[in-house]
Amino acid sequence: MKKMTHLNRYAATLAVAFILSACGGDDGTPGKPGEPGGPPAMTVDTLQITIDDVTMQSGIATVNYRVTNQDDEPVVGVPSATFIAAQLLPQGYTNAGNSSQWQFFTSQNCPARCTGDYVDYKNGDYSYTFDAPFDGMNDISYQAGATQRLVIKMGGDSLADGTVLPVTNQHIDWQAPTTGPSAEPAYTRNIVTMATCNSCHNDLAFHGSNYNQIETCVTCHNADRVSNPDNIFPQMVHAKHLSGFPGSLANCQTCHVADDTLSENHNWTRVPTMEACGACHNNIDFKAGQGHPAQADNANCIACHNPDWTANVHNDGGNDEALGQFEASITSASLNGDTVSFTLSLRNPASGQLYTDSANNLNFVADLRVYANWGTSFDYATRSPRSIRLQEEVPIAGSDGRYSYQITGVTVPAGTEMDLGALAIQGKVCAANGVLGDCSDTTNSEVNIKSSHQFFSAQALSDSGRRVVVTNDTCGSCHGDQQLNFHGSRNDLEGQCQLCHNPNMVADATDNPSTATADYKHLVHGIHSGQREGYESINYPGNLGNCAQCHSQQAGVLTAGLPLYAGVKPLAITGDLYTSPTAAICSDCHASDSATNHMVQQGAVFKGSLADASALTESCTTCHGQGASADVLKVHPIK
Amino acid sequence: MTHHTRVPLRLSTLALAILSTTVLGEGYGLASANRDNLKTEAWQCKRCASNTGTHGTIGVGVAHNDGEDSHFGNTSGTDKDGVVASLEGDIRHRAASGYQTHFTADKLGYDNGFAQLTTGKPGQYNISAAYRAIAHYDTNQALTPYHIQADAWQLPQQWQTGATTAQMTDLQSSIQPTSLQVERDRYNLDASYIGSFYRAELGYQYEQRQGHRRASGNLLTNSTMLTERIDDATDNVTAKIYLNGTNWLAGIETQLSHYKNDQQALRWQSAFAPTFGAAYSGQNAVSPDNKAYRIAGNTQLSSGTQHVLMHIGFTRMTQDQSYLPATINGPSPVLPTDNLAGQVDITEMKLNYSGRVSRALSLRASYDYRDRDNKTQVDLYPQIITDSYLSGYAHNLEYDRTAQQAKLAAKYRLNRAAYIDIGYDYDHNNYSDLDRQNLQESTLFAKIHYRISTQWQVWLKASGSDRTGSEYSPVTTTVSPSNPLLRKSYLADRERQRYGLYGSYATGAFSASANAHWMQDDYTDTLIGLTKVDTQGYDLSAQYAVNDNINLNAFVNQDWRDSDQAGSSNFGAPNWYATSAAKSTLIGAGLDYANLLDNKLKLGIDYTYADGQNDTEVIQGLRSPYDSYYSTRHTLNTFANYQISDKFGLRFDWIFEQYQDADWANEGLAPNSIPNVLSFGDLSHDYNAHYFGLTLSYQL
Repeated sequence: MKKMTHLNRYAATLAVAFILSACGGDDGTPGKPGEPGGPPAMTVDTLQITIDDVTMQSGIATVNYRVTNQDDEPVVGVPSATFIAAQLLPQGYTNAGNSSQWQFFTSQNCPARCTGDYVDYKNGDYSYTFDAPFDGMNDISYQAGATQRLVIKMGGDSLADGTVLPVTNQHIDWQAPTTGPSAEPAYTRNIVTMATCNSCHNDLAFHGSNYNQIETCVTCHNADRVSNPDNIFPQMVHAKHLSGFPGSLANCQTCHVADDTLSENHNWTRVPTMEACGACHNNIDFKAGQGHPAQADNANCIACHNPDWTANVHNDGGNDEALGQFEASITSASLNGDTVSFTLSLRNPASGQLYTDSANNLNFVADLRVYANWGTSFDYATRSPRSIRLQEEVPIAGSDGRYSYQITGVTVPAGTEMDLGALAIQGKVCAANGVLGDCSDTTNSEVNIKSSHQFFSAQALSDSGRRVVVTNDTCGSCHGDQQLNFHGSRNDLEGQCQLCHNPNMVADATDNPSTATADYKHLVHGIHSGQREGYESINYPGNLGNCAQCHSQQAGVLTAGLPLYAGVKPLAITGDLYTSPTAAICSDCHASDSATNHMVQQGAVFKGSLADASALTESCTTCHGQGASADVLKVHPIK
Repeated sequence: MTHHTRVPLRLSTLALAILSTTVLGEGYGLASANRDNLKTEAWQCKRCASNTGTHGTIGVGVAHNDGEDSHFGNTSGTDKDGVVASLEGDIRHRAASGYQTHFTADKLGYDNGFAQLTTGKPGQYNISAAYRAIAHYDTNQALTPYHIQADAWQLPQQWQTGATTAQMTDLQSSIQPTSLQVERDRYNLDASYIGSFYRAELGYQYEQRQGHRRASGNLLTNSTMLTERIDDATDNVTAKIYLNGTNWLAGIETQLSHYKNDQQALRWQSAFAPTFGAAYSGQNAVSPDNKAYRIAGNTQLSSGTQHVLMHIGFTRMTQDQSYLPATINGPSPVLPTDNLAGQVDITEMKLNYSGRVSRALSLRASYDYRDRDNKTQVDLYPQIITDSYLSGYAHNLEYDRTAQQAKLAAKYRLNRAAYIDIGYDYDHNNYSDLDRQNLQESTLFAKIHYRISTQWQVWLKASGSDRTGSEYSPVTTTVSPSNPLLRKSYLADRERQRYGLYGSYATGAFSASANAHWMQDDYTDTLIGLTKVDTQGYDLSAQYAVNDNINLNAFVNQDWRDSDQAGSSNFGAPNWYATSAAKSTLIGAGLDYANLLDNKLKLGIDYTYADGQNDTEVIQGLRSPYDSYYSTRHTLNTFANYQISDKFGLRFDWIFEQYQDADWANEGLAPNSIPNVLSFGDLSHDYNAHYFGLTLSYQL
């Protein structure tokens, strides 16, 4: 025993020596107040919250973080912050087949409703110490080793000097023992980014605009916080998108975008559950066995619905691959009288080879049409352009993959021969499992090709033509990349639709004819604003005033700006009536009496003669033109 | 000594069982470490008797066996509950001419009985006929609602199917306990003849198996545990002829075997409501009839201290049992052939050299070649998902393999007491249809052996191996691809270290030995899969003859195996880890006391304790330990042999066993605990059982 005592004493001496040397003579306090902070921020456009760490002391968490502005200058005196804590149980932990699950602990708003210790170190550094251990809060046990999430929400109020603080959410995922520093979590649940949501929605935020990150939403929208299971995040988000979804609901990857930086990005195929899947397939009662063989829990889902299967049935089933083997392009075009002559080649981009046969001899071509219209400077000459069906048409000439065709009877108004025309291509090919195949084989199904258009002059192809104000990319931010098809297989929203949907369309003489015409520029505004008949219940997912959601830029300026392109014609209304061009456009959304009165007072013509409506009496640009006091591009909340 | 050599052998079986245990592994029972009853009376030297005439004993036994849990039968030899009778005998007849006839029988009448009749002239010819019954008892408490009818497992008439087991309303009233056990009856006829320069042997064995074993039938995601009937037989004929000269020996060995299964299929009525279509019943294939023959030649040449051994062998295995239809639920897709017409050829060759170069140095070299060539035709087969629907077509795979092994070793005697042995082994394997085309392993070992004195000797052995192979490219023949970071343990790069230390001590009356071993496997290129295995253990054994009448023996063995595994729940980098800690302990002690009560009484007592457990824990931030997985057994085996008179003897046997096991996979399980598995329920054992036997023997 005596020897043991000696040993213990020796060990204690060693330990003390070690502690002394380890501290290096420092006082051992966190050192926050002494840290250089730099001059405090004078302007705050954005708030940056940098969470340094979370430390645990007897189960009580302290989070240390730093708040800076856009220039990394410390923001001092942030008056309030909300701290949300949640715990993540791993995939399969609650039962075989179950997804990982968040468990809400607490949400504490300081200083209004918090009993913890909120400290502003006055140099941009802050800390918050919760009032009690997480363990037991909301009847949830804190489990050392489990992934924890701490969300800090601040902003929406002002500094003492009146500087407005933008709402900002920041989170940290961590794990820690009951006492000790935090470490990297062993597992995560990172499935979709907020940027993906905001590609269609704009600056999505909820609950008084306080919460604007998915990482925040899930801390409360879980089984331990919401009373209605329909409000648990995955099933809630799935169900919310069921009506009015602007793309194919079956394409999970509209939201579950492939992204290798998200560790659980593949969960949509790898972790099928009756909760997540049943939120869309809501005609199934899994437990009762209605619409699907009865399943008591999620343990078996993956046995049948393996990742490949789920991916296959929910995206295009290999259609992208098949489409990668087909490309139709116009290689030359010219106009002679009312006849357009053009050459078309069909190519397999995957192999780089041309298909040597013409479309009428390729058994995988179900439909291939070319439309022609003339007059790109004045938004086309007719609402009924001529077309030919190449899958039935014997080419006039050609060989080895380049074949010539003619479209006759094209409307070319006298004196416009020096203008430009457009040819639009649309069609369907047959394929199965990513491989093109014979259309007569029933195992193959028809796949819409991506429509396209080509401008041309009387002599040759032209790179430019009708002005571009929206692109397939901007439409695709909600509708998917050329996934929105009209009239069968027309999906080139950028340049094809306009061949028919042009000013030659005549609006009914309703109260607001702007929303009654099928002219593209009015049609699209009317649909998205919910003012067109039949689209009243549209649930536009973004901010309608954000013109940049759809409009593209031209020479660095958003194409939604004024003045309008000079070639835009007055809106034609039944009864030979016309509305002046700018007023017609603005009325697509701004249709109130006061708005109409304002436009009339500033020179607009509503339902007048063609001569009056074309007399350029509108003075909109004086105030609303680019750079003017009420520039359209400034008064709209454009992001 | 007999039982001591048995123990390590059994243990290696156990170790192998543990080796194959993965986190989700099937159970291993410590039953495999069972020690037979000690038959100390068999230790006496029978061959020492030289007098002619008929000698020996015959005996008749009656016993009371506790058969409540049939598992005890693995120790007592029978699962009968109550009184059992048996015959035993050991009779030898020796004629003056040299002919000898020997009859032995033990526990004849039990499921584990034995009888053999041998006659012949030692050194000239020998003919023997033998019978041995071997039984293995799994459980007599498997709960099932099924009964056999017209060769299919049927449910009671009123059975209500359910989508889940909870909906099977007739389950509770229908389940009956049933027995799972396998009984073998093995008959042997053997003859040998020794000529002046040759020796010939002919053997025939017929083995019949009957019983029931665990099986499962699946229809899509619904599983049913079924008792599969076993009713099969194997014929085995062997013939050998060896010629020998002054410095050589050469021979040919042939073997023919034929397996016949009287069961054609495992058919069952589904207890579940069909998931799709009209899948009301299922059918599984059972082991197909098959044949094999083997022919091999052996040559041994010796010249002074040089020895060369050559072996060449060829085996052909064939199987042409008619196929069952691909499915019995709905129209069955056409199969490419009527039967597999399977043929696998195995060619093997061995060349061994050993020789003494000088008084101190001897060398060994060997080369082994073994080629498995699957010559079965490759066809496109429809893939039916658990007798429910066609999911596509796939080719049968060949899984060919060529293994080559070269060994070089040298033994150098340092002095009269010590030698060192060093060597190098090289293994080379070529595979088809696996994730790696070839695999090579190099091993270096060294051993030093030191005889300290006539009583003491020790040795120490160390070896290191490095295994690597061609590029690892995961097979694409599976429906779901494996994680690209996965390295299957049997194909993964591996570094292995192995150390062994042995010491023994022996004097006239006392002997003891100790042995410690340690092995570490490091899977150096594995991010997902088995990453590390540590194995260690020791054996201690001692025997002491206190005097002419009293013998004591004892042994202890413990083994540990810790393995680490890494996995990924998101098909990416590893994010969960599992540790598996297996431990086995075997302790035994025995006492023999002879010549008591005026040389009339002999007593024996033998005790063994066996314990095996495996603790698995999955760690993904949170630690999730699996529940219990163990078996523990105490066995006490005693006898008293009393010689009533010159002719009559009476033996009393008492076996006591306390046994308990648990497996988290089915602990506390009721047949309907799992929604999509109709199970046998909890199959664990927990019993105290006795066997009392009384045997009257008569000395001829």
